Amino acid sequence: MKKNISFTLLLIFSLITVCSDLYSQDKTLISPYIQLQYFKNTDDQRILKTTLTYSLNRMELPLAGMEITFYSGGDKKEILGTGLTDDKGAVKLELKDDLKIAADDAGMWAFNTEFKGNDTIEAASADISVKDVTLEVTYTEPDSIKTVTVKAYTSGQGKELPASGEPVLVYVPRMFSLLQIGEITLDDNGTGSIEFPGDLPGDKEGNITVITRFEENATFGNVEKQVQLKWGIPTDYSHPTTKRALWTKTAPRWMIYTLTILLSGVWGHYLFAIISLIRIRILAKRREEEDNYGK
Amino acid sequence: MQADNKLIKDLTPEIEKTSLKWYITFFTFLGFFALGIYGLIQQIDKGHIVTGMRDNVVWGFYIVNFIFFMGLSYSGALISGVLHLFNTGWRKPVIRMAELITIISLIIGPFFIFFCIGRLDRLYFLFIHPRIQSPITWDVIAIMTDLVGCFIYLYLSFIEDFAILRDYKGLKVPAWKKKLYKILSLGFNGTEKELKILANARTIMSVMIIAIAIIVYSVLAWIFGVTLQPGWHSTIFGPYFVIAAVFSGTGLLIILMWIFRKVYHLEEYITKRHFVNVGVLLTVIAAFYGYFTFSDYLTKWYGSIKMDSILIDKLFSDYYSLFIFANYIGIILPCIIIAFPRFRTIPNITVAAVIALLALWVNRYIIVIPTLETPFLPIQDTRPDWINYSPTWVEWSLTLAGVSIFVMLFMLVSKIAPIISISEMQEQDKDEILK
Repeated sequence: MKKNISFTLLLIFSLITVCSDLYSQDKTLISPYIQLQYFKNTDDQRILKTTLTYSLNRMELPLAGMEITFYSGGDKKEILGTGLTDDKGAVKLELKDDLKIAADDAGMWAFNTEFKGNDTIEAASADISVKDVTLEVTYTEPDSIKTVTVKAYTSGQGKELPASGEPVLVYVPRMFSLLQIGEITLDDNGTGSIEFPGDLPGDKEGNITVITRFEENATFGNVEKQVQLKWGIPTDYSHPTTKRALWTKTAPRWMIYTLTILLSGVWGHYLFAIISLIRIRILAKRREEEDNYGK
Repeated sequence: MQADNKLIKDLTPEIEKTSLKWYITFFTFLGFFALGIYGLIQQIDKGHIVTGMRDNVVWGFYIVNFIFFMGLSYSGALISGVLHLFNTGWRKPVIRMAELITIISLIIGPFFIFFCIGRLDRLYFLFIHPRIQSPITWDVIAIMTDLVGCFIYLYLSFIEDFAILRDYKGLKVPAWKKKLYKILSLGFNGTEKELKILANARTIMSVMIIAIAIIVYSVLAWIFGVTLQPGWHSTIFGPYFVIAAVFSGTGLLIILMWIFRKVYHLEEYITKRHFVNVGVLLTVIAAFYGYFTFSDYLTKWYGSIKMDSILIDKLFSDYYSLFIFANYIGIILPCIIIAFPRFRTIPNITVAAVIALLALWVNRYIIVIPTLETPFLPIQDTRPDWINYSPTWVEWSLTLAGVSIFVMLFMLVSKIAPIISISEMQEQDKDEILK
């Protein structure tokens, strides 16, 4: 009897172990999506940004706290640095100015980013190749027409090679996002210009930020130049022209008066009805008292 | 207060004991309601992704149902208020039902707004950060005011009946019900003074109810009308919605009359005359509704504003069958059935009412959804599968739950109070009522 019980217990324990093993083997790993982007900002700072996400129920969700390694070079992978992804699944690495990055024959820099994976998430990697481009933007007003002129070139064999045929976008930051002013396609000389509208509201002094950029360019990545100019219409947002309007914090007076009169009239009638009910109750109580007194 | 024994027995079939049919019906609808609750849980758990609403069509079934139920409530108020003011004799068997439609619809309608709101935890912002300029704020104030007013009006109409039930010795109900009647009757005894006070209060409230109901539904219409959306931006929307509301509510009243007459054998009290009278009201309202619909679409079509033209094209192509049903069949068929005396039978009038009610629901659908699919400012970079709206099972189940809870609340009221007013029925000679 004792032997049977022991054997049964051993069998159950083995089954549980095997089942949990099978269960853990059957668990599917998350297949992440990794994206590597190159940025060069107004101060010529070069930044690599990796975003690590995964898809669940048609939603893109970030993977936070994951270690990402950045590399440079094609065949010879040199570690540039590591970092942990933030709550948006992104991590940035600033490339130091004195960093010597070897370019290939075409003048392209190769970068790679890698996530080594863990028990629940598969490994992933991504690479990009970018060419260093110089973006020069000038802001002029020939014949009082505000004009943004762009020149872009790469350096090769000691010469300036124009970035011809590439699109450059011009934006102005507005309240919630960027407003695109236009798109410049660079000519054979790597130059182009666009007229800037004169009716955009700026701040109190008329300052407005103008952003010119290569956006997700296949060759150059994201390269941006930003400047603040007095090209906007001076607008003072703290003092609207009307204090009471449909769009201000305080409603027009006539609206408040109308609502108050209407509601007072209606609820006044409700009060009359409730008082009627109270009167009926008082009358009934008096009658009950009279009946009781009579008895 | 005393009343004819037969009258009390006939008009309170479910107060003393509950029939098996009642239980079966109630629990069937409770099942549908439970399905809706399950759908709601899915929505709360997974978010609005389980519905058909997306970036383009941000309003769907929930708003349609909200407008529909609010419309029913308005018509109940109008019918009971106007008929009370004009003191028409034939109204007495149906006025209680109209008042109950008002209250029950007013309770149910706002819940569909709660289902539609993505961040219910911020609902209280409506009260702590109200913007008097916003039609949404007007709607919140108007609905709350209407709800209180309709409750007061309904209660005023119930007082005499509660007094009768309190005093009726032959009523075999549990002690708690007797106590309830005693409390709710406020000691009313039908003295001359009490009757005068009650009559004055009811007259005042019936006037207020009509006014409030018009304002409530106009405010609801203005939520749409003050926007620039094609199909919504119309000066006629206020009265159009009011007329459409009365149309749907009158249809529902006829349907309820038929149901209660059939189920509780009230042929003696709800006669063909009532069906014909309410049916004629339905026809007149249908004519007005048809006129407003024609006027609205004619001006939009003739004006040839680009987005209005796109919307009208969409209504006559993608939504053709729904448009024809709502604005042609839903108007013409009830008119034909009721306008010609040879077609005026109780079943025919009820069928006309069903068609009218369904047509009005579809009318709300084609007011809300096609407009959102053709917005005033075209939305850029949108996913193609978000442009068109398609309701999911969650929305269907919650719609069914709304209808179910409507029926269930009606059934629960029938357990406490008479569906036809006993006091009104015994005020006059029945012959006078039925002539």
